[in-house]
Amino acid sequence: MNESNARRSGMNRRAFLASTAAAATAMTVGQKAAFGAEEIKFWDMVWGTGATYTAAAKELVGSYQPSGDNLGVRYQSIPWANWYQTFTSAAASRTTPAVSSGAAFLPFYFIEQGVIAPADDVVAGFDKSGTNDFLPGVLDAMKTDKGYAAMPWSMDLRVIWVRKSLLEKAGVEAPTDWQSFIKVGEALKKIDVVGLGLADGSTTTDGQHSVSALMINNGGGLFATDGTLDCVTDRNIETLDFLNELVRKGIIDPYAASYTSDNVTRDWLSGRVGMGFGQTGLDKNFPADQRSDLTVISPIKSTRGDKGTVYYINPLMMFKTTASQPSSEAFLTWYLDNMKVFWEKGVAIDVPVRKSIAELPNLKQNANLQKSIAEWQPVGKTIGAQAPRPFGALNAVDGGGAGAAFIQQIIEGKTASKQILETLQTALEKVVK
Amino acid sequence: MTTPIATAPARNSLDPRRAGFGRTLAAAIVTLVLLGPIIVVFWLALRPRLYTDITGPTLETFGYIFANTDILLWLKNSAMVSALATIVSVIVAAPAGYVLSRGRGGAVSVYSLFIFVVQSFPVVVFVIPLFIMFAAVGLVDSLGGVAIIYVASSIAVACWMMSAYFDTIPVTLEEAAWIDGCSVFGGFVRIVLRNSLPGVLSTAIYAFLLAWNDYLVALVFLRSDDRFTLPIGLQTFFQQNQTDWGPVMACAVVMLAPPVVIFAFLNRFFSIGGIGGSLAGR
Amino acid sequence: MQATGTLADRQSRRPAEARRRRPDLGRAMTLAGLAMPAIVLMTVVNAYPVVYAGIQALHDGDLLNLGSFVGLANFRDALTDPLFWWSARFTVIFSLCGVFGSWLVGFALALLLKPEFPGKSSFKILLLLPWIVPIVVSSMSWNWLTATPTSLLPVLAQDLGFGRVMFLADPTMAMITVCLFKIRISYPFMMMMMSAALEGIEPNLYEAARVDGANSRQQLRYIVLPMTARSTYIAWILMAMFSVNDFATIYLLTGGGPVDSTTSLIVLAYRSVFQDFRPGYGVAISFLMTGALVTLSIILFRQIRRANIA
Repeated sequence: MNESNARRSGMNRRAFLASTAAAATAMTVGQKAAFGAEEIKFWDMVWGTGATYTAAAKELVGSYQPSGDNLGVRYQSIPWANWYQTFTSAAASRTTPAVSSGAAFLPFYFIEQGVIAPADDVVAGFDKSGTNDFLPGVLDAMKTDKGYAAMPWSMDLRVIWVRKSLLEKAGVEAPTDWQSFIKVGEALKKIDVVGLGLADGSTTTDGQHSVSALMINNGGGLFATDGTLDCVTDRNIETLDFLNELVRKGIIDPYAASYTSDNVTRDWLSGRVGMGFGQTGLDKNFPADQRSDLTVISPIKSTRGDKGTVYYINPLMMFKTTASQPSSEAFLTWYLDNMKVFWEKGVAIDVPVRKSIAELPNLKQNANLQKSIAEWQPVGKTIGAQAPRPFGALNAVDGGGAGAAFIQQIIEGKTASKQILETLQTALEKVVK
Repeated sequence: MTTPIATAPARNSLDPRRAGFGRTLAAAIVTLVLLGPIIVVFWLALRPRLYTDITGPTLETFGYIFANTDILLWLKNSAMVSALATIVSVIVAAPAGYVLSRGRGGAVSVYSLFIFVVQSFPVVVFVIPLFIMFAAVGLVDSLGGVAIIYVASSIAVACWMMSAYFDTIPVTLEEAAWIDGCSVFGGFVRIVLRNSLPGVLSTAIYAFLLAWNDYLVALVFLRSDDRFTLPIGLQTFFQQNQTDWGPVMACAVVMLAPPVVIFAFLNRFFSIGGIGGSLAGR
Repeated sequence: MQATGTLADRQSRRPAEARRRRPDLGRAMTLAGLAMPAIVLMTVVNAYPVVYAGIQALHDGDLLNLGSFVGLANFRDALTDPLFWWSARFTVIFSLCGVFGSWLVGFALALLLKPEFPGKSSFKILLLLPWIVPIVVSSMSWNWLTATPTSLLPVLAQDLGFGRVMFLADPTMAMITVCLFKIRISYPFMMMMMSAALEGIEPNLYEAARVDGANSRQQLRYIVLPMTARSTYIAWILMAMFSVNDFATIYLLTGGGPVDSTTSLIVLAYRSVFQDFRPGYGVAISFLMTGALVTLSIILFRQIRRANIA
């Protein structure tokens, strides 16, 4: 439109351009705006340390110089609150951005719906340039029948943290299995410290992460190996019995049933919580001089002798609403290659998924992170365990109301393990078709 | 009727003309209890930010939010959206309320019922189709689009409030004007509306509060950070795990200020008590 | 505060025959024209979403696809789901508390603030604050006051000898807390409604009653309550509507937990749509809810009208 106008009035335009530099600038700006696609949009959740993370991400994206015909990128921070509304309303109305980060299972839902483009070309690009240094398993975790649903960029890995000073005060060593976990919990209880800190208000998923971690720890999970829903298993019952014992012995705080993530973080800070699952960057919540009090322990063995935990792979997906798919892919590749600044600056609290980042000097010195990567990551699984492939309905399992009520029932400690699992199975059958 | 009549002490009487400091004390105690949670907001706003060396109450957080966040922009956006919604609400609700107040007959009853039913639909659940519709006409991520939704959600109660006030204005005034050759519309504008400043202000304040405090609609409809309103701006302080309460509450105090100031100035005009008449009068 | 006259005033000021005298077409057209902007706006904004939602309710799709037609299955599922009935029950409890609790507090405060006394106007504004404070902020401050064992209220309860009170984590206590929270943010509305209604009572009436020997309780019973009855009923109906549709209050405070104890119908509908990705089911719930609400309100309106006009 604009171009044809310009061509028709070619003489005018040339004369105009020749007149002043300022006018020329105005012209180009006008032209770009008329094409309406000089930039593609990148939506990013508020990850890691919050405001400081967002500032770092904004700066990084701001430094992006597109090569060739590729379009530039505009950064947009998206709050976590009601994210499913944000994304689904955008998808339903085709107003999604070109590239976006998001919750772990969103890409699987969206690729089933045909809203996002598979990332196979991006993966192939990394292979071709010999820079495919993604940690084992993380790329596979993104694979679906329709290709790679998204690119992984970091991993929210849940590991057990302890506060050394509190354990010392209680006169106990870090636990190595479920039995010793109870012993340590009881000792902590004596000095009025919570042995398994978790937040299970209905608007957070923190508690679900901890319970999923323990279920996987015991070789269980919500799904059977053929991908069907299978909550009521012996392994899961054992896990819930274990949790029930923690509740009865006061190792889990009954207040947790209404806790927000903020509440439990504050309890960690104030020394009310001595042990519990947390992200690998839990210590970043602490003032610098107290961080050394927090330690990641080795994975603990369940009664059956298994080890395990839960992780969520944070994805970057490419929506079909992009103005230019090559531009989306070029940006995504560049972003993955340059995001190490998040860990250099310490604004990311999750595990990097690329070796080149994990081996950054400051991460090498971070004993807790290295331990997490070396010992916890290999035994981790997603909440899709033990299903062979991730799928879209996991969104509803992850953020749905059934999960919160499930954990709250456990914390309440009034219902038999099997019955709690049966309730969960019935509730999940409605959302997983 | 042999109750100890004349001995009823003045302070126990419902007589509006007699009361003293005893009542001030009672009111003070009740107010303190009811406002407890708001005092918490102010108290937390004075707390130092995380990881600063300051201990004890400080005003530093206020300096911080003005210097380091877009709070002024959010304030401006909130003010614009709320002002727009308020003005349009009044412009639309005033004539509609006049119809409710003066109109009679089947059509008006249906109209009244229509307003009532529409008011009962929960916006929260219908937000996706609303979003799709707005996206189709390019009203998503625009302050104007959000304002339209606010107007639509305040309009029913606004109509009732206007009509309640119009009920208090004698019809004889308009009738005199009609006899002098004034049209019905002219009578509405020149006689009724001109004498309805308190009613208009009440409606305006209601619409303003609704728009100013909304969080759910703005969260879904506003995307670009240069279009955030205050409640959404507030969200940016919430991190994945931990919330920095100082700045959040300082923001809350800033957010609280305009409505309180407006109330303090306009309080004596704001009455929604009259809604009753127009609703039940049908 | 001449905003509202008494009921008797109002009726005397608009004699019915004055209106009946002029049923002319021009006037009707003008009135229709005046009503039009509101009708158009409400129709435009609501029609598409409501129709769309109506179609969703008959399908089993997700948020992006309509899915296949299932007839009334979503409604049947809702009506046979125990959680639906639990939520309906809590909605009733929550709304009754919202209506009568806030009315009692609001009415009492309106009576307290009726006479002139030092500082009256400041109290009037201060007491409106809970309504003005954004719900996002109120819920945060309540969380701060109650959530953890070291929060202010649990500590206070412990010191007063009530033991461990879990304001939000215990299902029953959570229901009570949510209802109290609702009352606290709603009473200012009632206070204003009732203050305005009290303004409408002629001071001479109290005078006359006192001369006749009525004490304050009798004045309340035989003058204040009957004279404000109409405003009261309307305030109840409006508040019931606000309460049933009140999503933010519950969701921001408890999210419907623990163990679904504070899940009301609107929260359940929201969760079904946005967390479980079952919009058909969620919309069906909200239709059932709105239907019940509108029916109930219309019946109540009829009653009030009859009671007043007869």
